[in-house]
Amino acid sequence: MITNKKNTLFRKLNILTVIIAIILLYLIDSDIVGNQYIKRILNLCAIYTIVSVSMNLVNGFTGLFSLGQAGFMAIGAYTVAIFTVPVELRESIFYVVPQNPVLSQIQIPFFPALLIGGLLAALVAILIGMPVLRLKSDYLAIATLGFSEIIRIIFTNIKTITNGALGINRIPAIPSLELDNFNISFGPMWSIFGIAALSVLLISLLVNSSYGRAFKAIREDDIAAQAMGISPFKHKVMSFAIGAFFAGIGGGLLASLLGTVDPKQFYFTMTYNFLLIIVLGGMGSISGTVIASFIVTAGLELLRFFDEPLTLFGVNIPIFRAGLRMVIYSILLMVLVLFFRNGLLGQKELSWNAIIGWFKNKMPSHKKSEGGAL
Amino acid sequence: MKRKISLFLCFMMVFTMFTACSNEQGTSTSEAGSDEDVIKIGVFEPLTGENGGGGLQELDGIEYANKMYPEVLGKKIQLVVVDNKSDKGEGTTSVSRLIEKDKVAAIIGSYGSGVSIAAGDIIKNAKIPAMGASCTNPMVTQGNEYYFRACFIDPFQGKVMANYALEKGAKTAAVIMQNGDDYSIGLGNFFIKSFKELTGDENSIIDVSEFQVNDTDFNSILTNIKAKNPDVIFAPSSLTTAPLIISQARDLGIKSLIMGGDTWENPSVIDVAGSDAEGIFISTFFDESNPATEEARSFIEGYREELGGKEPNIPAVAALGYDAYLLIRDAIERAGSTNGDAIKDALNSTKDFEGVTGIINFTEEGDADKNIAVIKTVENGKFKYIDTVEIK
Repeated sequence: MITNKKNTLFRKLNILTVIIAIILLYLIDSDIVGNQYIKRILNLCAIYTIVSVSMNLVNGFTGLFSLGQAGFMAIGAYTVAIFTVPVELRESIFYVVPQNPVLSQIQIPFFPALLIGGLLAALVAILIGMPVLRLKSDYLAIATLGFSEIIRIIFTNIKTITNGALGINRIPAIPSLELDNFNISFGPMWSIFGIAALSVLLISLLVNSSYGRAFKAIREDDIAAQAMGISPFKHKVMSFAIGAFFAGIGGGLLASLLGTVDPKQFYFTMTYNFLLIIVLGGMGSISGTVIASFIVTAGLELLRFFDEPLTLFGVNIPIFRAGLRMVIYSILLMVLVLFFRNGLLGQKELSWNAIIGWFKNKMPSHKKSEGGAL
Repeated sequence: MKRKISLFLCFMMVFTMFTACSNEQGTSTSEAGSDEDVIKIGVFEPLTGENGGGGLQELDGIEYANKMYPEVLGKKIQLVVVDNKSDKGEGTTSVSRLIEKDKVAAIIGSYGSGVSIAAGDIIKNAKIPAMGASCTNPMVTQGNEYYFRACFIDPFQGKVMANYALEKGAKTAAVIMQNGDDYSIGLGNFFIKSFKELTGDENSIIDVSEFQVNDTDFNSILTNIKAKNPDVIFAPSSLTTAPLIISQARDLGIKSLIMGGDTWENPSVIDVAGSDAEGIFISTFFDESNPATEEARSFIEGYREELGGKEPNIPAVAALGYDAYLLIRDAIERAGSTNGDAIKDALNSTKDFEGVTGIINFTEEGDADKNIAVIKTVENGKFKYIDTVEIK
């Protein structure tokens, strides 16, 4: 009886949270609250969420230490870049080596291009995954890292398709969705957040399905999993391909948001950003990854005041200068990792139960520590 | 204990968030009051990340300019510097920050064309004029009426070197470029294009080769070139590879002229290549020993003192940063206001502005319409000014 009541309460809370989120999204998107700066940060946060959650599916849930995310993002980003740039601009963009005559006549709308980008990334992941996923732990990491570098180098060299080192510019922004009947238009933010929410939802459904349980079984012990009748190879390739699909989608959104791509952007160091996010959020926790994506991306912006000169009592403090932000950021990361060994949420998920439980635990423990000798 | 610490960390996080917000409000209210006596100019440069070194040099030039000319329209100019980490995503957020939070009147930056291109759309939509100092990619200003730049663009530099090669009597050329480097590929290709046009011979470029980043052995490329025996070798490349290419070419007994871009103007090229560097040719933005304008004379003297021997040469990007600041300041002065469109129009009507790097006018695209480039060579272990080339 009590649990039933609790459940309905939680369901109401869930609906309330979603409604609040939608209202906030509407207010920010239609420029009633906040400004372009905040909008941009939030959009980046959402895109990083997509990629991080997809990486967590592979690294956290399936236990494959893969570092190929930047490569898959590059595939998605370049697909969107190549196909959405208006045909008439192509010549001025490919000013050194002209674009392939067949490709230069093809232009497809943003959403199909985004989908193709994701599918291409998944296809490449399957092809790469077949041989590479036979490796384990560190060896897999090295192989996938190498793969993402190969993608980058290929993109640098197929100049008639990708414009080589010069990159592709003038990528159109994410289109607004117009609903003429209701006279409402949904700006790019709706698309980005919509896709982010959808990917998080799909991945969490997947993780809680029988496939997800198989992934986790493989993570814990693949020989035991095999003994239970799970095909580790099939499931590993599947997880790898789905992870790549969402990374490709994230890359495509990023390309359109920034309006420009070039191969240097997809250095392997980019993957470390996402690795940082999933380790911080908790390997094997989707909600932790979402929270960490927002904290890491927005946090870097919040720390910007360390870069500004600071004058206290008329004295200019010399260490407050450009670059201090990155030092503070690194220190914060070290502190966080030291105190949260398993990331913010470990393998747990955020739920109302957990939040309430956390606070309930807090109260008595507080009293105890006050009374006890510490 | 652990919970206590985690609780404390959470509080800290929430607390910093609030302080950041209140800070924002604080500055915005005080801004309304102090708006009368301060004009803000935003600077976005890579101060960390792969281009951190170049970005800092450029920033030094801008800050020196701010020190020399701290006022406009009777108000103080305040520089708001943000770091873009040489990253496009950070580049766009840092520019939005300058526009939305700091409400700057104009923007200077950035070293590295990629970041500038990414930020271009935001600048265009916000109608805030921007001045690039050393971003040489043509795409930065193309189709963006609010983006200007103080430097010449890659096609021009390629043309200058092709012209000079021809003047030296070259009929055939070989080009060596760095694979994956937009600067090197851009410059190399424009050289090829101009050289073919000038000689009127499609086969005048007898060899084009690319090397990978971090390559140190160029013997295979150079042996190939030696067999074809070109009159000139054009090798726009980074500072670290330049001396290696030069020495290895001379070791192989290649007698062709060797030419490079503005990145080669650094004593370390001579230090590493030694006597092999004698007789190489480079093009650059300005010459310390032969100032083009009155402004240049005072800049060279003052900035040398400012550097205090920290660097042996004045970096060209510092001079360009200095020019970028002066151009913006001049435009605000002529516009008589800090309105974005007014400044943009003033920049467009800039006429024969005397900068450190020459007389500056703007083309329709907003590029500095510079018609001079400086050619230097190496003689007795030192860079020596040879000629100022003018291109029509």
